[in-house]
Amino acid sequence: MTDEPVTLTIDGKEITVPAQTLIIRAAEQLGIEIPRFCDHPFLEPAGACRQCYVEIEGQPKLATSCTVRVAPGMVVRTQETSELAREAQVANLEFLLLNHPLDCPVCDRGGECPLQDQALAFGPGESRYREAKRVYEKPIPLSPLVNLDRERCVLCARCTRFCDEISGDRFIELFERGAGERVSIAAGEDFRSPFSGNTIQICPVGALTSETYRFVARPFDLTSADGVCPHCSAGCNLRVDVRRGQVVRHLARDNAEVNDAWTCDKGRFAFRYPDDPARITTPLLRDRGLEPASFGEVLGWVADRCVGSRVAFLTGGRLLDEDYYALSKLARTVVGTNDLDHRRHEGGAVEVWAASRPMSVAYADVERAPAVLVVGLDAEQEVPILHLRLRKAARKGARITVVHPRRTRLHDVAAHVLCRPGEEASLLREAVRGAGPLASVVEELGAAGGAGVVLAGERCSSAGAEAALALARTAGARFGYVVRRANDRGALRAGVHPRLLPGGRAVDDPAGRAALAPLWGDALPSTPGRGRRAILEAAAAGELDVLFLIGIDPLTDLPDGALARRALENVPVKVVQSLELGDLEPFADAFLPAAAPVEKAGHVTTWEGRRQRVEPVRGPVGLSRPDWEILAGLAAAMGGDLGFETLDQLDAELERVLEAGLGTPDAGAVEPFVGPDPRGGEEAPTAADPGSLLLFTYPLLVDEGRLSARADELKAALQDPAFVEVHPDDAARLGLAEGAAALVTTEAGRAEVPVRLNEHLAPGTAFVPFNNPGLVAGTLLAGSFWIPAGLEPATVSRAREASA
Amino acid sequence: MSTAGRPTPGFWEAASAIARGMATVFKQTFRPDTTERWPAEIVPTPERSHIGRHRLNRHEDGLEKCIGCELCAYACPADAIWVEGADNDPENPVSPGERYAKDYQINYLRCIMCGLCVEACPTRALTLTSYYELSFTSREEAIWTKEQLLEPPPPLGTDPVDREGR
Ligand code: SF4
Ligand code: SF4
Ligand code: SF4
Ligand code: SF4
Ligand code: FES
Repeated sequence: MTDEPVTLTIDGKEITVPAQTLIIRAAEQLGIEIPRFCDHPFLEPAGACRQCYVEIEGQPKLATSCTVRVAPGMVVRTQETSELAREAQVANLEFLLLNHPLDCPVCDRGGECPLQDQALAFGPGESRYREAKRVYEKPIPLSPLVNLDRERCVLCARCTRFCDEISGDRFIELFERGAGERVSIAAGEDFRSPFSGNTIQICPVGALTSETYRFVARPFDLTSADGVCPHCSAGCNLRVDVRRGQVVRHLARDNAEVNDAWTCDKGRFAFRYPDDPARITTPLLRDRGLEPASFGEVLGWVADRCVGSRVAFLTGGRLLDEDYYALSKLARTVVGTNDLDHRRHEGGAVEVWAASRPMSVAYADVERAPAVLVVGLDAEQEVPILHLRLRKAARKGARITVVHPRRTRLHDVAAHVLCRPGEEASLLREAVRGAGPLASVVEELGAAGGAGVVLAGERCSSAGAEAALALARTAGARFGYVVRRANDRGALRAGVHPRLLPGGRAVDDPAGRAALAPLWGDALPSTPGRGRRAILEAAAAGELDVLFLIGIDPLTDLPDGALARRALENVPVKVVQSLELGDLEPFADAFLPAAAPVEKAGHVTTWEGRRQRVEPVRGPVGLSRPDWEILAGLAAAMGGDLGFETLDQLDAELERVLEAGLGTPDAGAVEPFVGPDPRGGEEAPTAADPGSLLLFTYPLLVDEGRLSARADELKAALQDPAFVEVHPDDAARLGLAEGAAALVTTEAGRAEVPVRLNEHLAPGTAFVPFNNPGLVAGTLLAGSFWIPAGLEPATVSRAREASA
Repeated sequence: MSTAGRPTPGFWEAASAIARGMATVFKQTFRPDTTERWPAEIVPTPERSHIGRHRLNRHEDGLEKCIGCELCAYACPADAIWVEGADNDPENPVSPGERYAKDYQINYLRCIMCGLCVEACPTRALTLTSYYELSFTSREEAIWTKEQLLEPPPPLGTDPVDREGR
């Protein structure tokens, strides 16, 4: 077999394509559409539906063009030039429709159904079948999200192949053969895969339908826009559908560079948050009893309190690049402070590295890599589409090693090295010296000749991330820093960071400030500001006048629960800019209504560093405005000027700042530095006390985060109430049993949660999800995502309390 | 058009043209009167005429024939129909099968009585009636709801204030 391009003739037209191309793909390039159902460009060929018949000269029988690869000199005739092929296609369509219920009027696929379309375009006008059709109970729920109507199924096996080849979550299977063949799930099982929704989108008929879109709309009712998922840094391209102003559906848009044709279920089904009744769309002022006020009044009121005061800004990770840039500029040039932060985790020197580079590792690099090392990342739960790419790499033969305290869903395709959180750094340093469990991984990466990839999750602490970067350098591998929230990387790039200006320039580096001077002026504050934890500490100590919270709720989103509460209690002025107030209602002095992600144009940056354009599907609701506009308004109210009035002007300036040589410090110049919050770089404390475990946490995919508001079906399908996971050995030692309640006590707080045993957990650790129903884990933490904790059976502690 | 070159008509030619014209007027004056004295006197419409507002029909067991499929809305050239489907409660179904119309509205400021919606309806749920007495005093009143459309039309000539649902 050679890799020479192949020339063949299709319908009399000559075309040259790479060897191994399928005939159906080659025909597409000529603009010839061969009807198909089972063929999907991102799945392996199956030849299941027999719809794509073509005639190949010299072959006695018709061939399925989706399974036959091109050969030199091949002469193919499709339905357009071959009567034989056309007749076979018509006959096959009639055959597929024999048992099809033709209940298009009640079917959710009606109007956007490949079977409908192709029956219309290629099929017979009438059915000759008069007998009774096969009848099944319909629909049967495969999960709270996915319904199956077996009568409509054409047995194309797209859904089962997706589960087999792409997600690896093999819940559904084709059973029986012949007329009784059907898609089934084991009795009592749920289709509990975080990628289940993709099967709905690729099903070529209405056999798999979505519970959230059930009977909601027809295609002609919808207004759509090209969005990007706001939920995680994977940056899945979405189509956002709106009916009568309400978001009713998210679909994946194909983008082979990013998400192929997939999304995770959170991106697909958590779409109701912009229409949540809790959303507030007018500015509010506490002085008036938190009553509606005009934007002018509220901005004026806030501006009066910001001028000449000690102001600090905390943001979430889901604003757009433009919003972050506006904030970065407002804080530095108008308010005159470096006290701004978006981070939940501190990555130290790696942040400089990520802030200054547009793209280090792209999805395509992950897919091509022969060896991948993943540190401190549970890809399925944190960046699900990266998880799918890693699986795709594994299918192509990549050797994947995961260093993580808890086994991840890559376990069937990757080797896991379980380590206590915070121990990553020492493991990696050991590996660089050629010792320890990862030594062979360094060799593999080295042998990959520059194509190896090291991915460090944001949770591996600054020391861990720096060690991973050093390891990548030693092995000559590519390095990617994987942040979690949708635009954490954009925030880093824009300098929403106490030490970094846009493009990764240090605030205390005169050259960096000088580079920005043409746009930002030369009076930038030059002392590094306070990071998140330090801001909250200052607030709690009464050393701040104004705390500005943009798209974040420090009570639930940060690992500083108790401190955050004290901070809110001790700052005189709290300004909240968000979609809603939520827990912050008792604290907010002024509220500025922000536009939802589906309502604003701009860019988001994926974990890779890829900037993607987002289009709004509707205008901001009520008086809400895009964050950058509100911030520009505040600048004006304070007598300053951010220098842009339209998004285009802002974009042009941002582009200049990021691209035009301002933001590309020399890679070698990155020296490890200690973050402003030394806890971030700290090694995990060894639990000296035998009753104590190292408690760690991270958000699971579907939690109580505010963008999952009203995603009830999603939560019913994929969310569990809070739990604490313990290794069976530790459980035995501490007297904890599966399902029984344990009392978890840390220096910051205590909570009672049911125990789950997990033998694939690093011994000596315990895991709680960050924000599942029943426990806001931030209340147990004191600044970092791990903390020593005492665990004991709740019955014991209750008995002790009763006797005391 | 130029009249130049045309000879000026003579007296008799002009007189005869006027006489012919007046003859038509006199003939019409004495023909029987076809003006209907609506609403004082209601002339029934031909039996198979469908020139009035829509009706949503029910099956004999009382279930609605409409399944909320939106095909009528898609067919409508005037975008006069709004349908929202929903899942039937199997214990207490509104229509046979899985789906029913949770909301159904026709905007008579838009409808041009073309009947394409009726042709599109797969269940014969939607038909046109002969009830042509559509008069409104507000925009809202011109939008008929599902409840109103499910009612049979009242006899022609019913005083608007007595009309069902008004
Ligand atoms: S359920 Fe849909 S995707 Fe799955 S085999 Fe049937 S038709 Fe194909
Ligand atoms: S993987 Fe991330 S970006 Fe993609 S749909 Fe899921 S949450 Fe959204
Ligand atoms: S009669 Fe014609 S214009 Fe009126 S609702 Fe039906 S389709 Fe629309
Ligand atoms: S009236 Fe007929 S066409 Fe219209 S939604 Fe109901 S069933 Fe469908
Ligand atoms: S598309 Fe070729 S056999 Fe189904």
